[in-house]
Amino acid sequence: MRPDMPGPNVVLLTLSLVALAAWLGLDTVSLAANRIVPGTGYRVFDVIGVGGALATSLPWLALAGLAWRPARHRLALALTLVVLMLSALPAWLSLSAVTLVDSAQARLGIGAGIWVVLFLQLLAMIELRRRLDLSRLIGWALVLPAVASAGLCLARWLEPLALWQEYRGRSGQFLSAVGEHLLLVGVAVGTSLALGVCLALAMRRWPGVQRAGFGLLNVLQTIPSIALFGLLLAPLAWLSANVDWLAALGVSGIGRAPALLALVGYSLLPMVRNTFVALEAVDAGVIDAARGMGMSRGQVLRQVRLPLAMPVILEGIRITTVQAIGLTAVAALIGAGGLGTFIFQGLGQAAMDLVLLGALPILLLALLVDALLGALTDILRPGGAE
Amino acid sequence: MIDLIHVTRRFGAATAVDDISLSVAQGELCVLVGTSGCGKSTTLRMINRLIEHSEGEIHIDGQQIRRFREETLRRRMGYAIQSTGLFPHWTVARNIGLVPRLLKWPATRIQARVEELMALLGLSMEAFAGKYPHQLSGGQAQRVGVARALAADPDILLMDEPFGALDPITRESLQDELRELQARLHKTIVFVTHDMDEALRLADHLVVMHQGRIVQQGRPLELLREPADDFVESLLGGEDRGLKEAALLPVSQRMLPLGPRLLARERIGQRASLREALSLMLWRHAERLTVVDDDDLPVGELSLRRLVGARSDD
Repeated sequence: MRPDMPGPNVVLLTLSLVALAAWLGLDTVSLAANRIVPGTGYRVFDVIGVGGALATSLPWLALAGLAWRPARHRLALALTLVVLMLSALPAWLSLSAVTLVDSAQARLGIGAGIWVVLFLQLLAMIELRRRLDLSRLIGWALVLPAVASAGLCLARWLEPLALWQEYRGRSGQFLSAVGEHLLLVGVAVGTSLALGVCLALAMRRWPGVQRAGFGLLNVLQTIPSIALFGLLLAPLAWLSANVDWLAALGVSGIGRAPALLALVGYSLLPMVRNTFVALEAVDAGVIDAARGMGMSRGQVLRQVRLPLAMPVILEGIRITTVQAIGLTAVAALIGAGGLGTFIFQGLGQAAMDLVLLGALPILLLALLVDALLGALTDILRPGGAE
Repeated sequence: MIDLIHVTRRFGAATAVDDISLSVAQGELCVLVGTSGCGKSTTLRMINRLIEHSEGEIHIDGQQIRRFREETLRRRMGYAIQSTGLFPHWTVARNIGLVPRLLKWPATRIQARVEELMALLGLSMEAFAGKYPHQLSGGQAQRVGVARALAADPDILLMDEPFGALDPITRESLQDELRELQARLHKTIVFVTHDMDEALRLADHLVVMHQGRIVQQGRPLELLREPADDFVESLLGGEDRGLKEAALLPVSQRMLPLGPRLLARERIGQRASLREALSLMLWRHAERLTVVDDDDLPVGELSLRRLVGARSDD
């Protein structure tokens, strides 16, 4: 091996070989005669024969080869290959649909093989983006070909895809569920942010508040979410029955009011803890200088403490939001709406594809929010300081 | 002009500063020196009310400091600390302009003042104005810290071990710069340090503190020659005292006018200290040095006997 040649990229090598094994060994699609009966799994060679299956393994072997001697131009080539392979996954589903589906009632399910490959290919993409020092924005742009390919295939060939059928059956409902979900998360995170900052400031001022506050929030955090919804049921029902203006606001034992209350309760701890720690962690010397220079308490807080604490506070908002997106799914149980509705309907009807219709967008929303707030944190980091 | 009159500070049952009286004249550089925990920083921080005094009175130009609003008082005084306390999210220029902005100076005046100060501290405007503190070396950051303290042209400068975290070479050059600045600006400076060499180099008025009390104060030479007790003596370096004293005296004080003899080969500037002269003699095995002025012209000579000879209190 030449001295200027780096050693094999073990991450990429492993990812490509494991992905290949999953591709060949697991079911890539499943076919069911109708919505109710369980489907039969099909592996790659069930669809296109052994020769075809071996041919499809070539891109992975090429990827492994590129990972063996990872010079920069080879990594760039590998990234291109990964992007193309991701874009080819919807095409594979289309091919399976055309080959296998023979009746209008038949439904095509996405198999474990596809999910595993999708996951591993995305990991490979992240690894390559890091190795090649590409910006976050480019990283996101790299997903676009796959999204475009999926859109095209859905429009042309993927009518039998079960997930797609579930969506088309309730597209209006789906959009309003996404809206409700985002509304619940937004209001809960917004409220807990406002409350959390006030609480964190009060905790810094009065140590008593700090002890009591963290104690209470910790206890709140340990109550299981379903139990908390149950606990809120009785008092809120009583309130709406006895206080007219609350009833007029739409407060009742089930629905949005208890959901929001519980979400805010759960969101407070990470929000308060991050904000508190962020405000505490600001270098004592900087604060000493700020006060010694003659800044008032308010000026120290607004011009020094808050801006310096901002990255960690944003980190708290990010964690809280991602957590709230997941928790809101459970809130569907008490009639708060949102994407969780599909999950529980799907569970009730034993229709896994309906569960996916609720779960996948929740996953995507969480990833999206995570990425957006992460980027915002980077931008707000003062002067590129650590 | 700063006066501390029977000032005491207690923290609970502990007494951090115990009944000290101290007067710093206009334009004087007063150094508070002592071991850690002796109350020197507490004393400094009581002057700008970062710590309130429990008893006694503190006056600035004859007025009790409690008669001012805290912020007003602090904006009248420069403040520089060991960790520099530069705001990491602000550029150098913005950091320096902090107090003028607090005092609501017009933007053009702030800009001009920042440029003036950066020139004064030897920081080029193009290279440093837009930099962030984490991009500076320790010495540069401390220069910015001093520039910031001087920004609103305060009469009083409070400095809490500002050079404590720097390497010895940077520290010495900043000490020299501070002396030169002080010769030009004539600020009233209270400077806290635990480093006796630094204290002796800088002080017009040296205050030795121990366990919250002032054990001795006066001119550095006075303390060197007549330490009040064993503690002061040990702090002043015990057997190193002779060298410490020599470091305070300039060659010009001991040199003789040029005589009929040939000029000695080794030369030393008349502003150099006797300690440097002694070191040169040791290094070069020379018993005589030619003393030269700033233009390198011989103005006198210094012999080893003369250097170590009887003290002349001329």
